[in-house]
Amino acid sequence: MTDVSNEPIIRATGLTKRFKRASRSSGLRGAVVHLFKPHYTTMTAVDNIDLSIQPGESVAYVGPNGAGKSTTVKLLTGILVPSEGEVEVRGISPWRHRIENAFNMGVVFGQRTQLWWDIPVQESFRLLGDIYQLDTVTFSRTFDNLVEVLDLQPLLNVPARQLSLGQRMRCDLAASLVHSPPILYLDEPSIGLDVAVKARFREFIRAMHRERGLTVMLTSHDLGDIEELCDRMIMIDKGRIVYDGALSEITNRFGWERTLNLTLSDPTPKASIDAADALSRRTGVTVDQPSDTALTITYDGRIVTSGELIRDLATRVPMTDISIEEPTAESIIRNLYEGTLRFDDVHGGEA
Amino acid sequence: MSQVAAAGKGRHPAQRYIAIARIALQQTLAYRGTAVFTVLILFLWIGILFSFWGSAYEGRERIAGYSLDEMRTYILLAYAINALVGWRVGSGMMARIRTGEIVIDMIRPLNYRTTQLAIAVGNGIVEGFISFGIAIGLGLLFFDIEPPESSLVSMVFIISVLLGFVTKVLVIFLISLLTFWTLQGVGLMWAQQSVIAILSGTLVPLALLPGWLRVITEILPLRGIVATPVSIYLGGTSGLAMLGFLGLQVGWLALLWWFTDKAWIRAFRAVEIQGG
Repeated sequence: MTDVSNEPIIRATGLTKRFKRASRSSGLRGAVVHLFKPHYTTMTAVDNIDLSIQPGESVAYVGPNGAGKSTTVKLLTGILVPSEGEVEVRGISPWRHRIENAFNMGVVFGQRTQLWWDIPVQESFRLLGDIYQLDTVTFSRTFDNLVEVLDLQPLLNVPARQLSLGQRMRCDLAASLVHSPPILYLDEPSIGLDVAVKARFREFIRAMHRERGLTVMLTSHDLGDIEELCDRMIMIDKGRIVYDGALSEITNRFGWERTLNLTLSDPTPKASIDAADALSRRTGVTVDQPSDTALTITYDGRIVTSGELIRDLATRVPMTDISIEEPTAESIIRNLYEGTLRFDDVHGGEA
Repeated sequence: MSQVAAAGKGRHPAQRYIAIARIALQQTLAYRGTAVFTVLILFLWIGILFSFWGSAYEGRERIAGYSLDEMRTYILLAYAINALVGWRVGSGMMARIRTGEIVIDMIRPLNYRTTQLAIAVGNGIVEGFISFGIAIGLGLLFFDIEPPESSLVSMVFIISVLLGFVTKVLVIFLISLLTFWTLQGVGLMWAQQSVIAILSGTLVPLALLPGWLRVITEILPLRGIVATPVSIYLGGTSGLAMLGFLGLQVGWLALLWWFTDKAWIRAFRAVEIQGG
């Protein structure tokens, strides 16, 4: 976090959004039943979230599909009304003052374009200049700059529907910044982009962040985006924040789950039984045997060390090679996505 | 360096919506093939109705108080006025709600209803006014359609048409909002078009509807879209009656204005936006 004395630019307390979903059984029968006796289930998309983001921060908002990322962005942009809790962006309640809030933000949705489909890109920009009520001088200055940096000149006379995805993304990025907003929300911005376009896109965002003090909030599945663009990562799962801190620090929080890979000297089909027996007095250890000549043992690094495990196993299992896998930020995020990340604290042993 | 948004200062807010109307106009022109086609279909309809009423009048002087010439004038004007707000406004809004594209409209500093009104104006200038111009031109040249009896009547007629225009946009806005709940628009679109065509007096003059339905239409705002301006045009309405007509249109408009506001807030709060 940058400057603690500053007021946060985005602040949320106990932010919650619930949706009522019609649940009906399939087929014609289900449709008819639903017509007469509708049945709804409530689903909590965002569950009691607290956020505090300082001006000039760049934050990655990470989580599997359906975790509540986009819903949070919609709450911050004023598109959705919270079910409970408070949210303020630059001191304004986004949904109560949606129009005022809109002047303060730019938004890029990777899956939707904000350009007008049938008219030349340039016309879309001019229209945005009018919508944000920019005077001609201010507009030209910002616009010319964006055209230069994002190399839009060849695209200006093309209707949006004829742009390739990468070209469209560049235009959309420019469109979100025409009015020089202090905050930029990027919702899955690099979906479907090729490597070169992605690199250029990141470089541009980084420059805007560094030079203009733009506050960036990024939701992405792309670890490269997150690593290169963001100092801070907020991980969300099932609507709740499970981690909020520096990307580099995440291994300290979740990195206790480690893996020991053993290569066996002879095919030993029941090595896993021997190993489990040898480790029976250890807690938080699981044994797997992927093949006749290999064993993988996962353990909690806070309770037991690899040395202790190897000592226990050495006399019972014929091993020729050992490797220890320490979790990386990437593997932790992958575990979060696969639903195998464990949030529980130490069980049994010392903390 | 923290920066202050330069936006939103120094210029009149109405400029935002004028710009929206301009783009809508441009977009309609981009699809000018569709616009021309729409107008052609319209005149095909009018042609069919002309020949239909021609047969219906054989051996009769008047039907529901209208002479054949008056009936022709009625049809021509009714269809031209109804075409001022085409299918674009409703279908566009429904599609954007259904697909979730509406998020793009909502991240902008724009009032949604005013935006729809501006889009309707942009479309209407191209589609509506072309057909309106052709209708009146053709009518005056070939069908002996009488111009209004005085310039006062012409003026009141124009005001009434404009009030009807806004009324129709608001009614379509209200119906389109239902897409937030139904999540599909085709049925709504058809229902909306037929209901407006019947109850506004486009299909046939309201005097030809069955008694109970006529009473309903007399009260509903939909008559203000077509029947009211056309009867003002056809004349024979006293100054006081014209004032009453306009008063009813304005009253309904105020009520619709209030109601669309409430309905929008309701839809905005209650409903989820489609797509991730």
